[in-house]
Amino acid sequence: MSGATKSPSLWGNIRELPANVWHSVFRNPLPSDDYERSSTSFTNFFLHIHPVKVNRNTLRPIYTLGLGLMSFFLFFILVVTGVLLMFYYVPSTTQAYDRMLDLRGTVAFGTFLRNMHRWSAHGMVGVVFLHMCRVFLTGSYKKPREFNWVLGVGLFLLTLFLSFTGYLLPWDQLAFWAITVGTAIAGYAPVVGQQVRFLLLGDANVGQEALLRFYVLHVAVLPLAMTLLIVLHFWRIRKDGGLSRPPEADETETAGTPVAVSVRAVQMAKDKIYGLQGFVRGPFTKVGNTPDKTVYAWPNLIIAELFVFVLTLAIILIVSLAFNAPLEQPVSVLHPPNPAKAPWYFLGLQEMVSYSAFWGGVGIPTVFVLLLLIAPYVDRGQKGVGKWFSRERLLANTIFLSFVITNIIFVIIGTFFRGANWEFVSPWK
Amino acid sequence: MRLALAIASFVVLLVHGAVFYKQFFHKWENYQTAYFDQARSLSKTPAEKAALDARAPRVEQFIVTSFGETRVDRCGTCHIAMDDPRFNKHAQPLQTHPYSAALGDTQVNGKWERRHKFPDFGCTVCHDGQGRGLLTVYSHGEDEYWPDPLAGYVVQAEWRKDLQPKLKGKEFMESNCAQCHTEEGFAGTTHVDRGRKLFFSNNCYGCHRIEGLSDGTLAPDLTEVGKKFKIDYLMESIVDPRANLATSFMPKFNLSEADVKDLVIFLKSRRGVNFAETSLQRYRATLNAKRPADEAAKEPVLQGAALIARGEKLVTDRACTACHKLGSRDGGVAPDLSFEGLIKEEAWVYDHFKNPRSRVSDSIMPSFRFADADFKAMTAYLASLKTAPAAADGAETYKALCQRCHGEKGDGHGAIAWYLDPYPRDLTKAGFINSKSMERLSNSIKNGVAGTSMPSWGRTLNETQVAAVLQHVLDTYTKEKRRELKPLKAPDKNPVAMSAESVSRGEATFLNRCAGCHGRKADGKGPNSTDILPRPRNLRNTAFVDSVADRRLFESILYGVQGSAMPSWIDYGLSQNDVGDLVNFVRSMNQKSPVRSLNARGN
Repeated sequence: MSGATKSPSLWGNIRELPANVWHSVFRNPLPSDDYERSSTSFTNFFLHIHPVKVNRNTLRPIYTLGLGLMSFFLFFILVVTGVLLMFYYVPSTTQAYDRMLDLRGTVAFGTFLRNMHRWSAHGMVGVVFLHMCRVFLTGSYKKPREFNWVLGVGLFLLTLFLSFTGYLLPWDQLAFWAITVGTAIAGYAPVVGQQVRFLLLGDANVGQEALLRFYVLHVAVLPLAMTLLIVLHFWRIRKDGGLSRPPEADETETAGTPVAVSVRAVQMAKDKIYGLQGFVRGPFTKVGNTPDKTVYAWPNLIIAELFVFVLTLAIILIVSLAFNAPLEQPVSVLHPPNPAKAPWYFLGLQEMVSYSAFWGGVGIPTVFVLLLLIAPYVDRGQKGVGKWFSRERLLANTIFLSFVITNIIFVIIGTFFRGANWEFVSPWK
Repeated sequence: MRLALAIASFVVLLVHGAVFYKQFFHKWENYQTAYFDQARSLSKTPAEKAALDARAPRVEQFIVTSFGETRVDRCGTCHIAMDDPRFNKHAQPLQTHPYSAALGDTQVNGKWERRHKFPDFGCTVCHDGQGRGLLTVYSHGEDEYWPDPLAGYVVQAEWRKDLQPKLKGKEFMESNCAQCHTEEGFAGTTHVDRGRKLFFSNNCYGCHRIEGLSDGTLAPDLTEVGKKFKIDYLMESIVDPRANLATSFMPKFNLSEADVKDLVIFLKSRRGVNFAETSLQRYRATLNAKRPADEAAKEPVLQGAALIARGEKLVTDRACTACHKLGSRDGGVAPDLSFEGLIKEEAWVYDHFKNPRSRVSDSIMPSFRFADADFKAMTAYLASLKTAPAAADGAETYKALCQRCHGEKGDGHGAIAWYLDPYPRDLTKAGFINSKSMERLSNSIKNGVAGTSMPSWGRTLNETQVAAVLQHVLDTYTKEKRRELKPLKAPDKNPVAMSAESVSRGEATFLNRCAGCHGRKADGKGPNSTDILPRPRNLRNTAFVDSVADRRLFESILYGVQGSAMPSWIDYGLSQNDVGDLVNFVRSMNQKSPVRSLNARGN
């Protein structure tokens, strides 16, 4: 910077142009001390969602496994590849499949884009589910994070629905019959089932109307809802005091020094005009340089996040290079494959439907989702938060895991052990 | 962490390299460059050379809108020399598409001119394959999901290994020629024509419908079969009908390989809509098809020997022996007609022609829509077949008359048994045979079993012959010594009066106890039925049910049927009254049957 005393000369301005442009965009130099590290996090739009300092526990890879971030990055990859694919796609029963062939045949990077989108979508369903398992098994949904857990359940359902709506778009046999089966499962709901199905399909069968509806849901409605919920989800993480951690993680190294100042507005004098931070409850930004178990977000957290991103990207790229997204025969309405299978993440449901249409397709999933939603309001104990499989949470974890494992087993049976007429077959034959 | 980050970043970089390499180095570019180089060396004028110099590799395509849905054929991207006559000696993909007078190509001043110009027709109209693809595996349709691989050139890896070699040959392309050249006798579609003739001469038309050609209702509609199925599926369905559907009753026809191939080519050409037809023409055709054919009325009414002679001609022309046995000809599917005049009444044969299932409930014989006069003539001919076989001993009689259904070993697995419903009786099951009186057994031979394919041999064989063949069966197949039969305690007449209440009680019991095997519709096709031999009886087989006295129904239900899966229900708590209700229920089902009125008219 040219200093306040000298009046700027044109030559000087031109000479300093690159630096000035740079500094007008980035307020801080690469930080070299704690003040600059704080300032970097604080003044950058993209970084200010992070706290200036984070607890060391948050950075333990074994604690979070990076699953939440991975879900977000997969969503990011999906948005980017999805927008690119939108340039080529037409949601019409007569054109959709030809567009797929063109993507595979002539569009630059077409196959690769489609592979990335496909495998990221599958990956996201799995990773979001694992993230939910992590949060449950570490007891992280407990007060004050109850509502964020509810948001998370919403995000999980949105992920499934996004993946499901995207499944139809290639308009091949796989897509057509998976959606036929999937929406038939929705039709088993009592009273409203058939209406819901009709609303989804816009017709009695899967056809042009359904394709258009699924397309609009897939590229506009659901991603917007998803983005909104993700923003809320992230914001609540900050406001609920960062990632969950065991109580020990907040203890200071030197006992007796107050680190977390709990301020309640009512404690202040009535005529005092106070700052907004007076509303903040619980442990919040540290004042002064008290010794504790936190580290600066820059670079510790940023590097960890970057690593998760690059890792996610690398895995998706490698998988997309190695495996092509399936494209089966063009839709033939009168010629269903045997068996016609729903997408893999609904095969658990389809397997259960083969025993009981209502309970398998509607009853049990609804009960499971309701249980998930009320879990934080029923399970109020504060013990065992922030630890994997803590002993205090044996009952809750057991119930949760038995649901999860049962579903996984059903998905595996439905995927590998079911053949024509949904009869039991051996995959090793 | 930093090292891991560096490694992961490096992997991302590497994959990007691979992706870009794949994107920018195509095989087809090499083909095109090779073509340009060779064409340059062959070119005679500098202008030609300059034109070639100006060309750079690019995707070449024909967009064809004249034939059905719009086609985008990019085959010329690799086969870039297809229309360059100088390359007729080159190896593929740089070979000239051959010129041929058979394709309509003409020579003008020593230069060939194509009849089917590529920009007008594209490639896939004739060749199939996937026009949009630029990789061989996709464009030639080698991946299992493409419905039409290059006709006659490419077989898919998933196709049956034994069929693969039979599915090659350029004659398979004729099914595509026939999309425009629909006329019969067209020189370019001889295989399609032959297939069409086989479709009629082998009586396929009796069961299968093809719009505008045939009206069969028993078997799947083949109007659009060429659009729906690949040729391997078509061929498999002909040579091995049960490979695709275990319950198919389509016969295995004895066709030569050439016949099968022509049928496949013919079927592949059936796609519902031809390019050559307009929607108006099709509509007109349906209007014409509905007009009743009253040619029969014009013909003189024949009588006596003339009628019989005409019947014989019809039976021969219409390939009845593609299924039936008649004299020395044997189709190996349906019953023997050689002694029809001795076995059946004329009225039975006529009714059976009009609607086979009015007489044998589960018959697979199609209802052919012949003119009434034709049916009468054919009936008269069959009724005239009254020459009994030469007298012989039991073993020979069995071989001549029984073995075709009951089998060489008497186990019911005869040559045509598979097509009969109910299945022929397993004569080796001593439990069954020895639990029935000699009188009933010989009655079954003499009078047949109504509603089934067991004919009445009473007028073909005399008493001694019947006794001899029965003795032969007992000695050779049943083997076990007969014990004396104890008379079972059962009423002669149903003691429970027929009433709506009784029927509904019977129905409740039936759904509760019997539906598992006999089926909810009582048609003998319950969920357990497929595991059981002999199969559960079809209780809607009116002819059969009416021929059975109450006493036999009571005996079968109360004490079970030995040698079958029917248990003795008295052991499971059914009282005589319960059985009475069941009998009323079974009888009530058959009361409204249209078959009833026929039977009442006299058998």
